[in-house]
Amino acid sequence: MKGIGKRVTIGFLSIVALLFVSGMISLFELGNMSNDTEMILSASRRNMEIAKDMLKSAGEHSSAVVHLVVFGDKNYEDVCRRSISNLEGKLATVRSEATDASRLDSLAFGIEQLQHVVDEYMSAPVAPKHEVADSVAVATVGAEGVMVADLGADVAARSGKEWYDTRYKYAYNELVERIQSFMTHTHSVLAPRAEQLNKNAYRSVAPVFISLIVMIAIVLMFYYFISVYCVRPMKKINRALSDYLSFRLPFNVKGELIDEFKELSDNIEILIGMSKQQDNINKK
Amino acid sequence: MRFSIILRYVGTVMLCVSAFMAVSAGISLWNNSDSGFYPLLLSSLLTLLLGAFPMLFVPKVNSITNKEGFVIVVGSWVLACVVGMFPYLIWGGEFSLVNAWFESVSGFTTTGASILDDIEELPQGMLFWRAASAWIGGVGVVMFALVILPSLGTNKMALSNIELSSLAKDNYRYRTQIIVRILLVVYVGMTVVTLALLKVAGMRWFDAVTHAMSAISTCGFSVKNASVGFYDNIWIELILVGAMFAGSLHFGLIYATFTRKANNIFRSEVVRGYIGIILVCSICVAISLFAADIYPTIWSALRKAGFQVVSLISTTGFATADTNLWPPFAIILLIFVSIICACAGSTSGGIKVDRALLSGKLLVAKIRRQQHPNAVIRIRVDGVTQENEQLHSVILFVVVYLALLLIGTIFGTAFGQDLMTAFSSSVACMGNVGPGFGEVGSMSNYSDVPVILKLKDTILMLMGRLEIFGFIQLFFIKSWR
Repeated sequence: MKGIGKRVTIGFLSIVALLFVSGMISLFELGNMSNDTEMILSASRRNMEIAKDMLKSAGEHSSAVVHLVVFGDKNYEDVCRRSISNLEGKLATVRSEATDASRLDSLAFGIEQLQHVVDEYMSAPVAPKHEVADSVAVATVGAEGVMVADLGADVAARSGKEWYDTRYKYAYNELVERIQSFMTHTHSVLAPRAEQLNKNAYRSVAPVFISLIVMIAIVLMFYYFISVYCVRPMKKINRALSDYLSFRLPFNVKGELIDEFKELSDNIEILIGMSKQQDNINKK
Repeated sequence: MRFSIILRYVGTVMLCVSAFMAVSAGISLWNNSDSGFYPLLLSSLLTLLLGAFPMLFVPKVNSITNKEGFVIVVGSWVLACVVGMFPYLIWGGEFSLVNAWFESVSGFTTTGASILDDIEELPQGMLFWRAASAWIGGVGVVMFALVILPSLGTNKMALSNIELSSLAKDNYRYRTQIIVRILLVVYVGMTVVTLALLKVAGMRWFDAVTHAMSAISTCGFSVKNASVGFYDNIWIELILVGAMFAGSLHFGLIYATFTRKANNIFRSEVVRGYIGIILVCSICVAISLFAADIYPTIWSALRKAGFQVVSLISTTGFATADTNLWPPFAIILLIFVSIICACAGSTSGGIKVDRALLSGKLLVAKIRRQQHPNAVIRIRVDGVTQENEQLHSVILFVVVYLALLLIGTIFGTAFGQDLMTAFSSSVACMGNVGPGFGEVGSMSNYSDVPVILKLKDTILMLMGRLEIFGFIQLFFIKSWR
């Protein structure tokens, strides 16, 4: 390559290109990292919300069942159905977004089991459901830690209490446990993703760091080459010219010159030669 | 010293390294743009820029001084190792700054020691880059540049004289240009033949390419955690034994053998000595393994022993067995071959059989001279009388080599390593062998070695690769201006 202008321009453009590339890399990597962080946080938040809603729906279902069994309030059948459909809706939402849907099968089974237990009870040919109410109330409130006297119960009541204690409570607790496990699992899934994020953070810094080091090396080389091939030759030519003009020393530039500097030196030499010739002519 | 000229030539070497990084990136791209693509591509571009920049300004020169040549050769090795760690650093995973430096130096110096606990986790592009760095380093980074770049003109001779040790030059009775061509033909030829044979023996293409590159460069980087033991295939082991053996012979002798010249493998005293050491050690190790009831038959013991002896003496470091479990007699023999190593003029490191042979002859000559004080005793190798200067440098090399092993061991024990690990890791790194014994055995790695000792090991690797004096000389160049 010839021409100091070209060399400097290409050198300068290389540095600019490297700056641009390292800037783009850092932007790209930081963007990736930001997206990952946002995804992890929003996934965590959404899963927490969903788990909370599910627990709420399960609670609603439980109290609706108590009302249904204790007071025989048929209106709570709707609440029962609504809370089950809420649970199913939330499950469908999670399933549509989950990367590993098989994980949610256990949750679906829990909801199905609860629904099945209630359906089984409702469809059973036990007429005086309200008569079992007292014993169920005892069981429910007793479970909440309030001391209530056992009112005694007839066969039907015993069967209702038995149903609640053995079948429903079991299914309800199972479901709550599965919802809680879903929440915990979300956290255990987030831990490796956070670790991955940590790695990504390292990876996003490494290219920028390396580009920076290369850029520093190139800037130093650029400075060195400019100094060796531009500044020093200019000084040498200037000194040689000054020596010639001040002390009439022969114009002699030490060291290797390239491109326009060599041309300049040669031209000065020609000019000095012409000037000497002119002087000789004048003397004659 | 003209710093700008040094930068231009080191830049040329960087261009070669960059080209191999680009090829590795291509392999990543071909492998469904695996996670190695972006780190390799970026590293390739940065290295390209670093290498090409000096060429913008520095014009070609007709001659370089000896001092400049030394700085170019050592500087090229060190800088190749520095840029070689870029892909590892960008990729992340197990590669911290020191780990990336260790892996890069280990590759370029063809040591083959690794810090990776799980090699198979690496994407194909990165695995190829590991093998490629070893392949470039096998023939010498500067020689590689000389081989593929015709533009270096008359400076080829100056650089190749510095890159090749005096012993390595002995069997080359050609002009520099031809030596460089011989290197290219023999090195590439042997790699291609090994690759083809490994493929025929049942390896998949990628494994065959990386193992062929690794075997001929006597590096020993495998793409499997269990190294060659993963394949459990007698044919693959036999082919690799052949490749490791060929890679550890003087390339000039291999070329002479194929071109039917007089100074061929069969007539070389050094090669005969080398084969003798391999046979004796393999048989002794096999008998000790069979006697210790480690392998049920003498043949299975011989198979494992033969592979390990050739792997260590050729400074490759592939493994088919956990040698830590072998009896002490077998272990000491393996350490012995790791110190002696292979022939000069090959891709291997270590003291080399040539020097061991000369030392032995010197010892015999000394005894004779004491018996016959007036006798004129000349030391000859392959019929060539050795100059006193040469003999002096051989002895000096052996003494300094052993002294450095001792210093390395002391340093290792000072930082908490047990004696076996400290000594064998120093031997393995100085000789560019790779696996040692103890915590750095054939089936383990250097990941648990303290950071300071990893740095010590990399210095030993570079010293071993540059035959000690080349590396030390850099720090004793009186005038840098």
